[in-house]
Amino acid sequence: MFNRPNKNDDEDSEMIRTINSGRKDLFHVLVDRYSRRLYNFGLKMCKDVQDAEDMVQDTFINVFRYLKDFRFETKFRNWLYRIAVSSCIKKKRRSKFAPEQELSLEEFVTGEPPTDPDGLPFWAAQPLDTILNQELGETLRKAILKLPKKYRMVLVLRDIEGFSTIEAADILNLSTANIKVRLHRARLFLREELKGYFKDEQNQA
Amino acid sequence: MNKIKHNKAECLEMFARLSEYIDNELDEITCRDIERHMASCKPCQVCLATLKRTVKLCENMKDQPLPQDFSLKLKHFIENLTEM
Repeated sequence: MFNRPNKNDDEDSEMIRTINSGRKDLFHVLVDRYSRRLYNFGLKMCKDVQDAEDMVQDTFINVFRYLKDFRFETKFRNWLYRIAVSSCIKKKRRSKFAPEQELSLEEFVTGEPPTDPDGLPFWAAQPLDTILNQELGETLRKAILKLPKKYRMVLVLRDIEGFSTIEAADILNLSTANIKVRLHRARLFLREELKGYFKDEQNQA
Repeated sequence: MNKIKHNKAECLEMFARLSEYIDNELDEITCRDIERHMASCKPCQVCLATLKRTVKLCENMKDQPLPQDFSLKLKHFIENLTEM
């Protein structure tokens, strides 16, 4: 068969064509390639480890079931996350940590922005390596879990999984304007949480 | 330098667009407006720096490894799925 070059061709495309030509036994290559990332996505999107594991498994069942219909109209990775997101939504349960509230821009501007006559707060001024440690990682993880889900989805796809605004819009079936608004509010929410963490740190020091 | 006074309405306008600015999603003119404002507004500078740092911290978050028992379970599950 003559394969026309496709703008969505990447390292997955050839593998998918091989699997679809009858090599189902190679499906595990895609699983090995993406299971860890998907699991980590699940840890941030689902309510617990069990749900994250179920989500990964459900996602791969669906990928396997529909792979023969994959037409390379999008990158495989984007399609995979679309399926993962829909599996997360099905698992949606109310979380006591992250009620489904709206985040408004105003709540982040009430009160003056932090001013420091000598310069930036130390957590913004220090090199990244100096402040990155396990405790901060844990604080950040918890802060992400506190985000209402509709904001969390966008933040995780954009800032952690590294999708572009257009890709995230496609995965979540939202407009790019909506992605931008949610992302900005999610980031501001996290910034507030981190500000609190670093303030406590400094007070203890 | 043409010094701009710290003006609440202008700051709020900046504030709403900071993420797009960080992500290089604004046109050149808007970027220049933001930079001009930033140059003379310390609170907005701090706002931008801490927001940028928040994004960087997210981007550098460490992944958890797949738990070993789940990894095995998934492997067997996929083997069964693809043998059917």
